[in-house]
Amino acid sequence: MKWIGPVFMGLAALGLSLPIVVVSAAALNGGRTMFFPPRDPSFGRFVEFFVSESVWTNALWHSVIVAFGSAALAVLLAWPIAYWLWASGSKLSKTVAALGSMPFALPPIVFGVGLGFFWAFLGGLGSLAAGIISHAALFLALPLVTISIGLQSIDRAHLDAAATMGATERVTFRTIILPQTLPYTASGFFFALVLSFNEFIVMFFVSASNYSTVTLQIFNSLRNGYTPTMAVAAITFITVSLLVFSAVARWGDLPRLMGADQSRR
Amino acid sequence: MTAALDIDAPAPLPEPAPKKPVWPWLLTGVIVFLCVVPFILVLAISFGHKIQGAGWEWAFTLENYKRFFVGALYPEEITYLYLQQLYWSLRYAIIASVLAVISALPFTYLMTRLSRAAQARWLVFLLASLSLSEVFIVMGWDILLSNNSGLPKLFKVTGLTDWLKAVGWFDTLREWGLASPRNVKFKTSELATVLCMSYLVWPYAVILLYPALSRLDPSLSEAARTMGAGPWTVARTVVLPSVRMPLIGSTLLLFVFLLGAYVSVTVFAEPAKHTTAIAIYEAVRGANLNAPFGAAQAVILLLTAALFLFFGQKLTSAAGAKA
Repeated sequence: MKWIGPVFMGLAALGLSLPIVVVSAAALNGGRTMFFPPRDPSFGRFVEFFVSESVWTNALWHSVIVAFGSAALAVLLAWPIAYWLWASGSKLSKTVAALGSMPFALPPIVFGVGLGFFWAFLGGLGSLAAGIISHAALFLALPLVTISIGLQSIDRAHLDAAATMGATERVTFRTIILPQTLPYTASGFFFALVLSFNEFIVMFFVSASNYSTVTLQIFNSLRNGYTPTMAVAAITFITVSLLVFSAVARWGDLPRLMGADQSRR
Repeated sequence: MTAALDIDAPAPLPEPAPKKPVWPWLLTGVIVFLCVVPFILVLAISFGHKIQGAGWEWAFTLENYKRFFVGALYPEEITYLYLQQLYWSLRYAIIASVLAVISALPFTYLMTRLSRAAQARWLVFLLASLSLSEVFIVMGWDILLSNNSGLPKLFKVTGLTDWLKAVGWFDTLREWGLASPRNVKFKTSELATVLCMSYLVWPYAVILLYPALSRLDPSLSEAARTMGAGPWTVARTVVLPSVRMPLIGSTLLLFVFLLGAYVSVTVFAEPAKHTTAIAIYEAVRGANLNAPFGAAQAVILLLTAALFLFFGQKLTSAAGAKA
């Protein structure tokens, strides 16, 4: 009976990677049609995606700007909220944290529709800035959670020691709180980054067809059928995710971030 | 508690704070503006009035809601088209979320019994697949399930189709809408829709169940085992009762998320079985251009989600009181 567990997990891994593998293999097609298994394998599609086809290079550029911009903005917004929540625990701070997490918890299509109206009134509909701010609001919950976990992990004895030795709040913040929560801040940033990179429906309403990110471009091309260049995009995205989460696991404590029990190692 | 933890220490802000800090209110304002106002706009516009052949205007009319429940031409004519779409939204979301949680439970349990390093490796893999955009996942399944490549072709080439025909199961598949006269077909079908949606949230299910299962005390199961309970008895009497609430909670969260699923339904469901999410899209950005009606549908979708969350909360607290 010992073999049932590993076999089940292996099957799950296989099922999980099946569509990804199929898409990746299709990227090697030499022609313009998607075949699986690939015919006339070549790396020509990679050149198209990264270098020669302006539709894709522009889309990739937009995706990158929105992802980095919104992740940075989300962290900047999440920090004061998480700190406020941790330091005071007041009712207002709890309410603000809950409100800030709301867009992430509700069906994204509703938030997307709302943001479409929102930017139409403010006059920013279809601008990259609107896209960045929208994604920052949508993914605010992620750095908020990771930074809160980081703040909770600070040993209060350190803070007591600093206070007894006469450190001011600012010094304590700079020398104890900031360095100890840095890995959690970085994790929150990268979670927001990767999810923004892959997000589709909110961007669809906010961009108003003025520009497209890679996911939007792919969705637009769905009707005309798949091309192997789209599969290259898929490979790029899954690679970025794997790299980012490996980095988080390497330099941060991924099981802890995901809520694992601390007593067992 | 020390002085360092007092509230009047607005350390993350660049400027030194005045006596009565204003930044909490500033922060509250920003969050309300960015995260709440869009939802309020949806609610407000859902009462708006559509002008024929033009945009819409602010108003307070219930015509959009009336249209959702009984159709625009009521009382001369009644149509339940939009209610039907809501039904399909609920149906897909419920089946897919339950399926995902049930299959993720044993997996997560096994994962939490691994070493910390192995857990981290699995988590990287799961998070990468979780964050992969819906468009890529749909693309992958589309290639796998489409008639000219993928599974149907595999069925044909390996002779599985002929075997199914010989055994007589092929007719059953045709009745279920999973076969054309020549071969099996998965596009478009309910099975493909639910499968893809379930796949979409499966890594989420693992991540949501992970904390509860990883806190499960292994000595409890061991004690049960030493007293002679088989693995199934242990699972039924020790593991399941202690994760009942996270199970319900995760299912609800995934359900709410799936209510808004868009790409998988457009690609895998036949038009007659499309969902409210698609109708919202059509009304706001698509051919119909009726923003107030789209907003009203979005409000109804939100209310449905809220209703389920509310009853889920009731259910879990009742279960918690009993336990």
